[in-house]
Amino acid sequence: MFFLSLIKHTLRLPPHLLNLPLDQAIKGELETLFLDKVIANLGLCVSVYDIRNIDGGFIFPGDGASTFTVNFRLIMFRPFVGEVLSGEVEESDAKGLRLSLGFFKDITLPAHLLPNPSKFGEDGKWTWDFNGTELPIEKEDEIRFKVNSIRYPPIPVEQEKDAKPFAPMVITASIDFDGLGPISCVYANVTTNTSNEHLFSLEGESFGFFDGVTLSKACKC
Amino acid sequence: MGLFGIFLIYGLSLLVCKVFILRIYIYRLQTNAGALTNFEVLDFLRSRGASTDPTRVIASVAQSEFQVYDYLVQSAACNQTRESINEFLRCCEKFDLAKAEKINIINIRPASQVEIDPIIEDCEKRIHNDEVEDLVNMIVEVLPSSGKTGGTDEETVEAVADQEPMEVVLPPEGKPGGTDEETKETVAGQDPIDTI
Repeated sequence: MFFLSLIKHTLRLPPHLLNLPLDQAIKGELETLFLDKVIANLGLCVSVYDIRNIDGGFIFPGDGASTFTVNFRLIMFRPFVGEVLSGEVEESDAKGLRLSLGFFKDITLPAHLLPNPSKFGEDGKWTWDFNGTELPIEKEDEIRFKVNSIRYPPIPVEQEKDAKPFAPMVITASIDFDGLGPISCVYANVTTNTSNEHLFSLEGESFGFFDGVTLSKACKC
Repeated sequence: MGLFGIFLIYGLSLLVCKVFILRIYIYRLQTNAGALTNFEVLDFLRSRGASTDPTRVIASVAQSEFQVYDYLVQSAACNQTRESINEFLRCCEKFDLAKAEKINIINIRPASQVEIDPIIEDCEKRIHNDEVEDLVNMIVEVLPSSGKTGGTDEETVEAVADQEPMEVVLPPEGKPGGTDEETKETVAGQDPIDTI
């Protein structure tokens, strides 16, 4: 989920920070610049991990501030494709769900990546129809999902008045596998032949571990 | 027309202020200088002073970092220690897992076979059923639980009693610093992650 990225950047240190020790001042400037921002193809910057190297200190003519070339490492949030994460449902509408991890809220779960016999009810909740039993996906459920893809859409030049705020990093999730979905319903999530997205083939195989699983194991479904 | 134009620019600047993309040029020396488990990030934030009690307002941790801290504290990483992760990496050498799968297991801490299925690719073909059970038992024993998913630990603990007990190995002393190098050392030599 988290990676370190080594970055080199030329930083202009404003003169009002001259009284601070150098590494503190540079760390503060880097945090103002990078923290909680998305860098394309690197992910969301969570934190400045450490500063490797500070070079320079030149003052360009006509400028009052000194310029440094800094090598530093950032902790980036960038899940890999196929990673299993757990988050909460934030929004649910006819096109799918939107999940959030607290610090990152742009995880979409489109309708076609929900387990196959799912339907959208009038109360705004998605329900998975598993062999006749209905397993609803509630608002505050903790959901295990698998990352399907990560996109970094280009910045729009113009936007309408009430368009949704632009999301620079969008993760597409899927819960169409065994062991995914709301935690309470994971134990009812026995393999079936309906989904065509399983990693392995199921025809005729019996899972000895699951033969005796009854739906009463799922606590609130 | 003029009024509408002004409103549009104002609305746009509001949106841009909320979500600001870096247009400056940075030079990426290494896009991936090491993967971090959730525990390492949590440890790093804790060492900077983040905590859940009211003294957090004094710590030099930014608001966005606190959001990450709050998420990690209620995940499976909150009770983990460096020694338990080292021991887990040592014990799972015989299962031939990819580095991404090991990180995933440490972050999620699956407590049953059904939870491990989405994490390990081609689970059926690579590892047989009883080996998967061994893996799950080892995970439950070595990695501490977060205490959230009730009822699962008792299930697997009963199964463990029927099998041979695991050898108790003294965990190595945890190093004070150099967190990511540690993880790189212990998982070096495994298959590279080809999903990135």
